[in-house]
Amino acid sequence: MTQKSIKVLFFGAAADRAGTRESELSSEASTLDGIWPLLEERHPGLSPMRNTLAFAVNGEYARGGDTVSPGDEVAVLPPVSGG
Amino acid sequence: MFTIVDETIDVGALVAAAQRPDCGAISTFVGTTRIDESSGASVEYLEYEAYRPMADRKLEEIGAEIQERWDARHVSIVHRIGRVDPGEASVAIVVASPRRGPAFEASRYAIERIKEVVPIWKREVWSDGYVWVGSQIGTRP
Repeated sequence: MTQKSIKVLFFGAAADRAGTRESELSSEASTLDGIWPLLEERHPGLSPMRNTLAFAVNGEYARGGDTVSPGDEVAVLPPVSGG
Repeated sequence: MFTIVDETIDVGALVAAAQRPDCGAISTFVGTTRIDESSGASVEYLEYEAYRPMADRKLEEIGAEIQERWDARHVSIVHRIGRVDPGEASVAIVVASPRRGPAFEASRYAIERIKEVVPIWKREVWSDGYVWVGSQIGTRP
């Protein structure tokens, strides 16, 4: 059985800067802060946005220290602008 | 009803669905796409995208927050995604309450919360490129 990966979704300006809407990370259980360097390495265009980004894990807002495990869905969320 | 649609919002149907004999007020807020003109180029339309189903769930949570704070007997929030042309409705909020005060307050609360927590993004599509609102990132020269 292959190791499950972490699925990462990008929205809005983050998708533009990442150059994709979806990415798969091979990682052990970690935290959002822990996987950020992996995301940054693969999608360097995201770096300047870091301070504006929010994150969700499995569809709920999450903080940097929150756990991310293989099989989870992480969403990279720029400032929302609905309405 | 809390939902995200990719077609025209039928505001009249939402208001009709909110009419109840125990409510004396229906407050309706309709957000429409506004075009800001600036030199040399203009916005042609807005394009919305959502992170679903998180966005759907956040709309439901706003509805639940309203029910906790006010005597709202009916709440509907509908947000449109995809292309929305100038002047068209991008979001509609309908709150029915026995009295007008809570209806007004709750609909105001709903739009402010949408702009804070619902994962929906819009970009202005100009004649010469686009800009993500809130991030100020895009393809305009």
